[in-house]
Amino acid sequence: MNGFELSDEWLIERFKEGDETAFDQLVRRYEQKVYQHAYRLTHNADDAADVTAEAFLRMYTALKRFRGDAQLSTWLYRIVQNVYFDFYKRERRHQHLPLEIPSEEDDEPLELPIADESIDLDEHLLEQERQRVLREAIDQLPDYQRIVVLLFHEEQLSYEEIAAVTGLPLGTIKSRLNRARATLRELLEPHRELFETGSRPNPSETADALRTGSGSVE
Amino acid sequence: MRCEQVQALLNDYLEGALSAGVRQSLEAHLSACAGCRREWQFRQGIWRALARTPVPDAPPDLHARILTYVRAQQRARLQSQRMLIWRWVGAAAAAATLFLLGFFSARPGGVMAGFDLVPPKRSPETAIPAPVESGIRLEWRSVGGGERIPILQAALNREASATLALASEPDSPPRTAQRIWQGTLQPGKTVEIPLPLIQRAPADSYAATLWWTVDDQHRAFFVPDGYPPMARADLRLRANLATALARLARTYQTPIEWLPAPSEANPLVVLDVHNATLEEALQQLLIGTRYTARMEKGHWRIMPRE
Repeated sequence: MNGFELSDEWLIERFKEGDETAFDQLVRRYEQKVYQHAYRLTHNADDAADVTAEAFLRMYTALKRFRGDAQLSTWLYRIVQNVYFDFYKRERRHQHLPLEIPSEEDDEPLELPIADESIDLDEHLLEQERQRVLREAIDQLPDYQRIVVLLFHEEQLSYEEIAAVTGLPLGTIKSRLNRARATLRELLEPHRELFETGSRPNPSETADALRTGSGSVE
Repeated sequence: MRCEQVQALLNDYLEGALSAGVRQSLEAHLSACAGCRREWQFRQGIWRALARTPVPDAPPDLHARILTYVRAQQRARLQSQRMLIWRWVGAAAAAATLFLLGFFSARPGGVMAGFDLVPPKRSPETAIPAPVESGIRLEWRSVGGGERIPILQAALNREASATLALASEPDSPPRTAQRIWQGTLQPGKTVEIPLPLIQRAPADSYAATLWWTVDDQHRAFFVPDGYPPMARADLRLRANLATALARLARTYQTPIEWLPAPSEANPLVVLDVHNATLEEALQQLLIGTRYTARMEKGHWRIMPRE
């Protein structure tokens, strides 16, 4: 970091003029984000990397026509979703891989890096279990609901950003989100004790703190 | 505030979307009501867990992997473009010559006359009419001497006027195509349009592109110049969809029908297959597009999904 960054618009202009290094920089800037989104959709590291590569190929070919009326990041989310739906989902259908059957690999809880040695080991195991049942529940949502949950809760986009990504009206996004939340709530009911946080109503806790998960877990 | 009201507002509360007044009375209720408080804590726990769903680090070679993939696909595109330009120059010249010589000189009475070469069969013996099949298909019919001629068969379950036009290039728009047949479709009748000039298209080019129009609805039909179909082939290309389909139809000697989608009709596609069937090639070709492929009585139909 040199303390400043070239804007996306500038890099896109450079790229349109034939500067390939501009594309390289754009990839560097967004590859982590794109990969994360792809991973959240596919739950598989290899597939996520494939979807990411294909998404950037599509960005490469479409960038010349990019009018800049949307954020590049928003546009990329949209590309990733298109690639996922067009390619990855169809591949799966063709191979007749039922989504429900967990492979042995899937049973392994995802190892979260423990940033702080002092983190309570019990809480670490609890969190793994919590994430496991949560993921099972999310995977049961229909795709059109899963997408909005993923964008709102996991990627933490605003309603306006989700509208830009999905092309859906705000009202539709909100109703899908609430339906999805209701379904998740029902599915997680048997695991209630994992999720009840035990904190008292705290007016000072903002919605942002909730969405970023930075609120205290007691 | 009653419990049902509180529960209905919990999502808005968690989003921080409530006005100060409503929020205060909701919080007052939560302090007093253990049941609602539990529900709120439960949902809050779900929200927090959702915000922490783990994503592993991207593989260390992700950047290299992306760039390698993009550059490889770009190179393939440039190569096939360079090759195709030369093929196209030759093909276009030969096709134009054939069209003028073979077609018009055969019967100088006009465009329609060209098709009298094999007159549509209207024999009165056919007492039981064939079941009406809506759509178009291509049939190769023997005309003696081991020669076969492609015949386009069209049917519709209602009356409508239709036109058939030959495009100069796979991706040129239907309105620029040269009209070679015009007529009325009747329910219960199959119209047959022989396509002798297609058969004599130069080798190693695209399949001929015919635009079939009924009621302002255009669909392309990529007609190969030979028979029988090829089972497997190697192909590498990067082109718009129409051009790619014309290539596939030519390579596999199999007709392909294409119904352009209303939006993003002709996207850029890539293909790199080895010893692949047409179905496999189409599958790869349509990745990331709005199209799907379906086998339809001897030809493939490419149409918008849903």
